[in-house]
Amino acid sequence: MASTACFVIVSKNDIPIYEAEVGSAPKKEDLSYHHQFILHAALDVVQDLAWTTNAMFLKSVDRFNDLVVSVYVTAGHTRFMLLHDSRSEDGIKSFFQEVHELYIKIFLNPLYLPGSRITSSHFDTKVRALARKYL
Amino acid sequence: MDPLRSYLGRLLLEEITPVVMVLTTPLAEAACRKSGLSFVDMLAPFSLFKKIDVPVRTASEVPYRLQMFKIRMVYASDVRKEDYEVADERIKPVVSEANEKALPDLLSDPPQLEDVLGKPEAELCPLWIKKFNRELMQTLSYSEHETFDHPVACLLVVSSMDKEPISKFVDLFNTNQLPSLLNEGIMDPQILKHYLVLHDQQEGPQDIAVNVLAEMRSTLGLNDCKLLCINSSTEADGSNTDNSWLPYIKDFMQDFASNHIIPYMEQKIRVLNQQVATTRKGFRNQIKNLWWRKRDDVPEAPNGPMYTFTSIESQIRVLGDFAFMLRDYELALSNYKLLATDYKLDKAWKRFAGVQEMSGLCYFMLDQSRKDAEYCMENAFSTYLRIGSSGQRNATRCGLWWAEMLKTRGQYREASSVYFRVSNEEPSLHSAVLLEQAASCYLLSSPPMLRKYGFHLILAGNSYYMSDQKQHAVRVYRNALFVYKQNPWSYINDHVHFNVGRWYGVLGIIDVAIKHLLEVIACSHQSLVTQNMFLNDFFHYVQSMGKKFDVYKLQLPVFNMSSLRVIHEDHRTYASDADVGVSESTWHELEEELIPSSSVVRTNWLDTQPKSSRKYKDSSVCVAGEAVKVSVELKNPLQIPVDVSGISLICQHSTNLDALTSDVSGLTLDGGEDKVNTEPSVSVFETDEENFVVSKLDIILGGGESKRVQLDVTPKVEGILKLVGIWWTLSNSVVGYQYFEFDAQKKNKKGKRGHRRSLNSSLVVIKGLPKLTGSIDRMPTKAFAGDLQLLKLNLRNHSEYAVKGIKMKISNPRFLIPGDSSDIGLKFPHCLKKHTQSEINLVPYKSTKENFKGLLFAFPQDIEIQAGATLSWPIWFHAATPGNVSLYISIYYEMESSSDIKYRTLCMHYNLEVLPSLDISFAISMSSSRLQEYIVRMDVRNKTPSESFVLHQLSCVGSKWAVSALPSCSSISSVETVSANQAVSCFFKIKDFEADSCKEADRGSYRTDMTLYPGSSGDVFDIARSPLADFHFQERYRQGKLVKGPCSLLDFVVISKAAGNSSEPSPDLQLLSHHTCHCSALSQSPVWWIMEGPRTITHDFSKSYCEVSIQLVIHNSAAHPSSVRVVTSDVMPEKSQTVHPHDPSSVQGGWYDVSLENDIKAISSAKGTQHEKQSSKSISPYVWCSLSSAQIELQPDSCARVPLKVCIFAPGTYNFSNYELQWKVHPSEGAQVDESKNGSSGSGQGHPFYVTVLQSV
Repeated sequence: MASTACFVIVSKNDIPIYEAEVGSAPKKEDLSYHHQFILHAALDVVQDLAWTTNAMFLKSVDRFNDLVVSVYVTAGHTRFMLLHDSRSEDGIKSFFQEVHELYIKIFLNPLYLPGSRITSSHFDTKVRALARKYL
Repeated sequence: MDPLRSYLGRLLLEEITPVVMVLTTPLAEAACRKSGLSFVDMLAPFSLFKKIDVPVRTASEVPYRLQMFKIRMVYASDVRKEDYEVADERIKPVVSEANEKALPDLLSDPPQLEDVLGKPEAELCPLWIKKFNRELMQTLSYSEHETFDHPVACLLVVSSMDKEPISKFVDLFNTNQLPSLLNEGIMDPQILKHYLVLHDQQEGPQDIAVNVLAEMRSTLGLNDCKLLCINSSTEADGSNTDNSWLPYIKDFMQDFASNHIIPYMEQKIRVLNQQVATTRKGFRNQIKNLWWRKRDDVPEAPNGPMYTFTSIESQIRVLGDFAFMLRDYELALSNYKLLATDYKLDKAWKRFAGVQEMSGLCYFMLDQSRKDAEYCMENAFSTYLRIGSSGQRNATRCGLWWAEMLKTRGQYREASSVYFRVSNEEPSLHSAVLLEQAASCYLLSSPPMLRKYGFHLILAGNSYYMSDQKQHAVRVYRNALFVYKQNPWSYINDHVHFNVGRWYGVLGIIDVAIKHLLEVIACSHQSLVTQNMFLNDFFHYVQSMGKKFDVYKLQLPVFNMSSLRVIHEDHRTYASDADVGVSESTWHELEEELIPSSSVVRTNWLDTQPKSSRKYKDSSVCVAGEAVKVSVELKNPLQIPVDVSGISLICQHSTNLDALTSDVSGLTLDGGEDKVNTEPSVSVFETDEENFVVSKLDIILGGGESKRVQLDVTPKVEGILKLVGIWWTLSNSVVGYQYFEFDAQKKNKKGKRGHRRSLNSSLVVIKGLPKLTGSIDRMPTKAFAGDLQLLKLNLRNHSEYAVKGIKMKISNPRFLIPGDSSDIGLKFPHCLKKHTQSEINLVPYKSTKENFKGLLFAFPQDIEIQAGATLSWPIWFHAATPGNVSLYISIYYEMESSSDIKYRTLCMHYNLEVLPSLDISFAISMSSSRLQEYIVRMDVRNKTPSESFVLHQLSCVGSKWAVSALPSCSSISSVETVSANQAVSCFFKIKDFEADSCKEADRGSYRTDMTLYPGSSGDVFDIARSPLADFHFQERYRQGKLVKGPCSLLDFVVISKAAGNSSEPSPDLQLLSHHTCHCSALSQSPVWWIMEGPRTITHDFSKSYCEVSIQLVIHNSAAHPSSVRVVTSDVMPEKSQTVHPHDPSSVQGGWYDVSLENDIKAISSAKGTQHEKQSSKSISPYVWCSLSSAQIELQPDSCARVPLKVCIFAPGTYNFSNYELQWKVHPSEGAQVDESKNGSSGSGQGHPFYVTVLQSV
């Protein structure tokens, strides 16, 4: 498992709708804004990159020092962004694909307004379990 | 783009230029100092030639012309490698100087997106940054692995005042004073020398200098000596003075450059090129070189082996650099390429990198092969980085060039990543500037990458802050603000605003600091520690402001404006605030009958409204002296408790009524943001004490707590009161205020629900009016079903005027019934007891008809409530059904004094929880042994978990029915108490009093009321009087809606008392009355019959058979005449199988066989004969003898007797039930249809009638 891993789902309006620190390193308050900055800045790169490929998984799109941002873009242009320091691309890809399935389930919920924050605790535990499994 | 025109091109043309080392005597220097300049400074303006236009011929035979040219004049003492620390110190002022310029900018608004995107590139990268970049590059001057900083020429300067100028020249070029680089053999000491004698015309005639020059020419050479005259006269500053010496300098420099330096360089290039060509070019040399170098296994040093100026590598480098300076880039490039392989083989990485760097620049200047250029730069950059700290700064310079190169080509994204890489290698100050440049590159890239821009600015800001450049830090953060404006990435937002705020605070710009800190104080997502830190910093700066200040829309606490409710009382007043929450329609319904209709409805649209009401057509009305209440919810988003004090309303009061119409609409429409602009400060509204009074509220909100607060404003004089907003003080230091936003849309939406709810900000204040307050004393909130209480309604008049014409309407008369004025002094529950026989149950339901709905109650007309007086009125309470009940009471009253408002209503509202207590049900069946009598079973179930009740009284309502205990169990004292969760059943008889046929029945044991509690026969409550009768009427009305059955027989009222636990004696007796209405008999037929006759007969069967005479008494209780047929049959009902459908005698009760064939026929024969006929073959032991069938006609409510005779042949007990009655009711003309349907005809089996016949002795 990666020591640092910050997973964020960004809606198509660039609003984070789900955030989770899934790394094994103890969470530090001052780092959370740091991670947000990196992920937020990486959106610029994703914006360009997303239209150059058919693949949903864009691999690593941006890096900041030793932290890498990997991105997965869904058909609705919701972006799954993972900030990590590990190198296992396959694991990340599987992670994203499984999260995508979870996300679709959330999306199918008629009470979920697309683009609003995902507050489901079930989703949260599932994502964290996936992170433990793949990252 | 022409590389020469690009920034990098110009930079290279200015920076990579021949260096002229200057050696001066002190006197020469002193001469210049008189003008305030050093010698180098004096020459500096003239060392740049915009259009020198000199033909140059280097290695190739084709000459070309050089346009722009520059030479760098430096003192010999400066020709040395500087310490990095010293150099960095030199750079610092460049940054901090810009600091001061940035300061005024910080006070203005931060830039917006449009501003930034519209900015030209030059503004994004201001001059000081360029200067900084140059300074940064210059820290690398005179490095040993590069030669373009090596002096090309040497300028020796003596003053004409110097003694022995010739020997001075020799002394000047004394090797001891020359820079170490020259002495160490890194630079070639054999350079072009130029001799200059400096003459100040102020110090003597020019002749001296001319003499010296002549002497110099003779000894040092004709061409290399020059005379330069200057004039240092102090008067020379003015315009009239002689500045003619300036052109001399210009001429001198021009001559120096074009006639000496450039030819010298050309010469040197040609010589070196020749040398290189012979030693290194050609196949043979290459082989040799390769072989020789391979063998040369020098131990690896970081800089490779030492190369002196005489080594071929150094000479190639000089050749390349000279060619570069003379802009023969192709020659330079070929030499650099040559060198690169050599250095690579030698593993002289630093030199290799330097050469690569230069090749990259050559490629750039040639504007060919971008890829090669980039490859070279990349290679150089990474090589520099690889060799560690000694190459770090070189890497920086290389990176800067590289980035400039990329920028020139429009590859801004790549450029910014280069800047970013460079910034990692530099100390924080440099890194900050570099990051800022990286950021601006992101902005320039297309499309602009704003988030990257923001992020890099933030990084730059952090670096600035670390290197103690707070102004810069704030400046870059400010520039980034627009990127993060309205940003939902919460942590980013908090970080940016908190830091900007904090740094502004450090800089002493506290108001801006607070403005930014305000953005973060309501951060609910942060941890407690962070929240504390934010809040502490905020309060710290607020306190250092030294005064309270106002904040529009302060986020702490959060006022939930959608929860805003304005409660004002016009026609309608409220007893308590909870009453306001009741839906409008409830009150409206109640008031419908109360209030005079004229003011509510216009009969048609032509009717003009009264003038006064038109005046207030669209606005709400409130009364002077009465508080207008505004309730709003506020929430603390933090985990820290906050102290909020002085919460009050902001109001405006104007006494001008005419301004209303225009003003109101104007105010409501331009609400919200516009208003904020026009109303800068809250202090405008601060005091208007004589017109209105506002309440102030202090609360402490715990972490995450929400509270609803109620704020009051009491207008004192007539006019218009505008509710503008709300303000509060946070922790005694910050005043927050917020305006109510009444936008038009919301108003319309609310308007549908009635004008009272619309959030109209303006209220018309009218003259003081009387107002009643009301309450019900000891109104229970919880009661057991059936609970009966006498309560007191208190109405108090607080005003100075009397009110009259009081009316009251109660929403639920099942629960509340107003009493009579006489009830007030009565003692409950004794007042309910039956009085002496005088007025026994003769009171009919007098009031029930008029009170059919029981809603409206008018107080006696003479009742007036005087000013300050209190009116008490009894009111009866009865908890009718279990459940949660809301009771609404509306009280109407009129004013004595004439005013705009003629009447008002007082709305009261109580919520009540009624618990189930006793569940009482009745089952009634006709008595088969008596006419006009019923057997009643009363099931009482106690549904409470802990209470027990004492059954007190059972009453039949009305005078028609009487109840008595069954004769067998006249004492039912065993059921006096029903404990919790127990059920009890009792049996009673009831009898129709008015049945004339039964008049003979003794009245003694029958009465309408029956006490169930022994020893309390006197304590019978009178159910025929108010309020029991009234409540009963209501119950009857309600329950009647539920009853489906056709005819209801009678109503019962059971009165019970709470037993009172032994531990908790109840002081006043709790009385419960349960009303069960519309009880009816289980089976009811219009014809009622009993057999009469002797029960025991003694007969001597030896003589003859016995003849028994019996009588069948038939009573018609139907309302119409009916015909009854009695049919006797001799066949025993048992075991009969044969069916005789047409034989009436076979129609018998008992077991029957379902046969479809018979069924159909039977139905056709006798409608209503539901039970299947049956016949018995066995002969019954007795025989009907008088008649087998009799038909009689019965008038309504009359009796008839049918004599019957039975023959018995043996002693025994016989059941004479083997007969059947068939009846048919003849409805009179015009009778209802349904009556004919229900039991108009039918038949019944005989009741069992046992007769014992004994053998007489």
